[in-house]
Amino acid sequence: MPDATTMPAVALSGIRKSYGPLEVLHGVSLAAREGEVISILGSSGSGKSTLLRCINMLEVPNGGSVAFHGETISLDQTPGRAPRPRDSAQINRLRSKAAMVFQSFNLWSHLTILENLIEAPVHVQKRSRKDCLAEAEALLERVGIADKRHCYPTHLSGGQQQRAAIARALAMQPRVMLFDEPTSALDPELVGEVLKVMRDLAAEGRTMLIVTHEMAFARDVSTRTVFLHKGRIEEEGPPSEVFSNPRSERFRQFVSREHLQG
Amino acid sequence: MNTLGLMSFGPDGWGYSMLAATGTTVAVAACGFFVGALLGCLGAAASLSRLRVLRLVADFYTTVLRGIPDLLVIYLFYFGSSSVISTASALFGAEGFVGAPAFLTGALAIGVVSGAYQMQVFRGAVLALSKGEIEAGRAYGMPSLLLFRRIVLPQAARFAIPGIGNVWQLVLKESALISVIGLVELMRQAQIGSGSTRQPFSFYLTAGALYLLITLVSGLVFRFAEKQAMRGIRRGV
Amino acid sequence: MPFDLPFLAESFVALLRGIPLTLQLTVLSVVAGGILAFGLAFMRISRRWWLDAPARFYILVFRGTPLLVQIYIIYYGLSQFPVLRNSVLWPFLREAYWCAMLALAFNTAAYSAEIIRGGLLSVPAGHVEAARACGMSGFLLFRRIVMPLALRQMLPGYSNEIILMVKSTALASTITLLEITGIAAKLISESYRPVEIFVCAGAIYLAINFLVARLFAWLEYAVSPETRKPEERRA
Repeated sequence: MPDATTMPAVALSGIRKSYGPLEVLHGVSLAAREGEVISILGSSGSGKSTLLRCINMLEVPNGGSVAFHGETISLDQTPGRAPRPRDSAQINRLRSKAAMVFQSFNLWSHLTILENLIEAPVHVQKRSRKDCLAEAEALLERVGIADKRHCYPTHLSGGQQQRAAIARALAMQPRVMLFDEPTSALDPELVGEVLKVMRDLAAEGRTMLIVTHEMAFARDVSTRTVFLHKGRIEEEGPPSEVFSNPRSERFRQFVSREHLQG
Repeated sequence: MNTLGLMSFGPDGWGYSMLAATGTTVAVAACGFFVGALLGCLGAAASLSRLRVLRLVADFYTTVLRGIPDLLVIYLFYFGSSSVISTASALFGAEGFVGAPAFLTGALAIGVVSGAYQMQVFRGAVLALSKGEIEAGRAYGMPSLLLFRRIVLPQAARFAIPGIGNVWQLVLKESALISVIGLVELMRQAQIGSGSTRQPFSFYLTAGALYLLITLVSGLVFRFAEKQAMRGIRRGV
Repeated sequence: MPFDLPFLAESFVALLRGIPLTLQLTVLSVVAGGILAFGLAFMRISRRWWLDAPARFYILVFRGTPLLVQIYIIYYGLSQFPVLRNSVLWPFLREAYWCAMLALAFNTAAYSAEIIRGGLLSVPAGHVEAARACGMSGFLLFRRIVMPLALRQMLPGYSNEIILMVKSTALASTITLLEITGIAAKLISESYRPVEIFVCAGAIYLAINFLVARLFAWLEYAVSPETRKPEERRA
């Protein structure tokens, strides 16, 4: 078996996903090396969120495979039946290493911010409550909402909730972080504070896959940009190349349209 | 004799027996309520299941039981189980009608009725759950049982508490109907008292006041529980 | 146990004779209780404590005690007072029919008052202000603006209340009235065949309640033209 450190952190190969007769992903392959920050762009309906959700099996792909650090997720993809994981324990183990940040935050509303942060570390990863609490306090300090730790999620602004959700993801000590349009549900004036936290995470060398509409962020922060169109990768490369010299006409149009809107 | 004298705890007073009967009322209501909670959970699970048959059965149960009088259901349970018992005891040589135990059949009957209402409450609570928060639980590696215990249950419980409180009040009042099959709860005790003293107004008024007392106290308990459970919820109104 | 069809049909016909009494009790008590409920609802929203407090107390008492207690107090309890027994009201209060009707009306008034109050409170302040700005006030304002808007909010709750009332009339059987449940109890105690009779009686109640629900669904549709598409409205 090859050394895990030389393997890509996440490797998707030939991912196909369909809903009934409608196929939304037509065989997408993508690998993220350790420390890479990949931004996934695309207009709505391009399948970019579905692709991200296939990584942690919130959507189970009908075809293709997903591997974390060389460990392939075992899937039952018998044609004609709904695809499903063979081993839910494996899924849960891998999920706890690939923390996701959602568009609509999805903080657990019956728990305080601090309780949100330690919930999965204590109950899924079985770490000591004391250690988790100390770490959670530090994380909240870091994202700038330490004063809110005993508040319930609904008492926070959208930007604060999303920062809390990022802290919750970090509390899992994840090896990969998945961001599903983390700023799309925020008021424009709150977007900056969330992007700043994400910029810092990228700077410290975390492996991140980010579905986003923030072109400037994708251009400045990511190490690689992927443009998805109708369930296929249309353009891929370092942002310095793809933004200044796109090969695909669609991506060129997409960039200019998004710029006009932004 | 005035009402207060009549209800005194002395040797001639009915206070003691009325109080004991109140205890029976609460006990039979509580038993019925828990039977109903069990049926309500099963019904809600069935009505939310992927199997069409189960959904139909649950639908039928709640529609029928909420559409017919509780008294009719109590008669069915009482006479139904009595005829089964009578048939069985006839095999052992006993003759004639043997009454079923009133507490048991009464509690079962109001349990079956209140289950139909509790099913609606639980169903509503599950439907009110945030899909995103459950998905977050899955995304953070929670196995189904942990997800249910830590996320689904606490959230569903707080949505269900107000509705469940209403059902409890309903069950409490429904339990008065069990007097018709002879269980000596509050209502039946008041009947007995008014029969032997010829002061029906005093007895039924006292019974009414005791019912009111129980509903008020349990109302307070449920309001407190709701307040506890609703922490962290921003209210629309 | 196999179902005995002739017996089933016989019981069904016998139970059908209970329908008029069940419906009478329902309709009369709903109408009388409805009038009382309007009074109570207005007392509740009057902003005068000496009107609000008695209405609150009334609603608390009638919603906090079993209907059976209310029926027994009126039917059995009132006879305790010689004053009443000698009064002009006695011919009525002696009759199980009127006692059941009265208790049902008092009971539904308490529940309906809260439904009506909820409906009235749901009328947006802006609509009332707009009507006042047009020079409407008093009864005209109530009849043309407040009531039509409140009605839409009240109907679903009120439909539930009437279904509950249909079911509640069954309690009249405990004071000797032979409405559907009364006849059912009599048949069961004569035949010891509870299941068949339960099925017949239950079916009749379900049918009545189904019709009530349909009627209210239609009413709701009739009073909310704004929720329909324009072409439907013309037709």
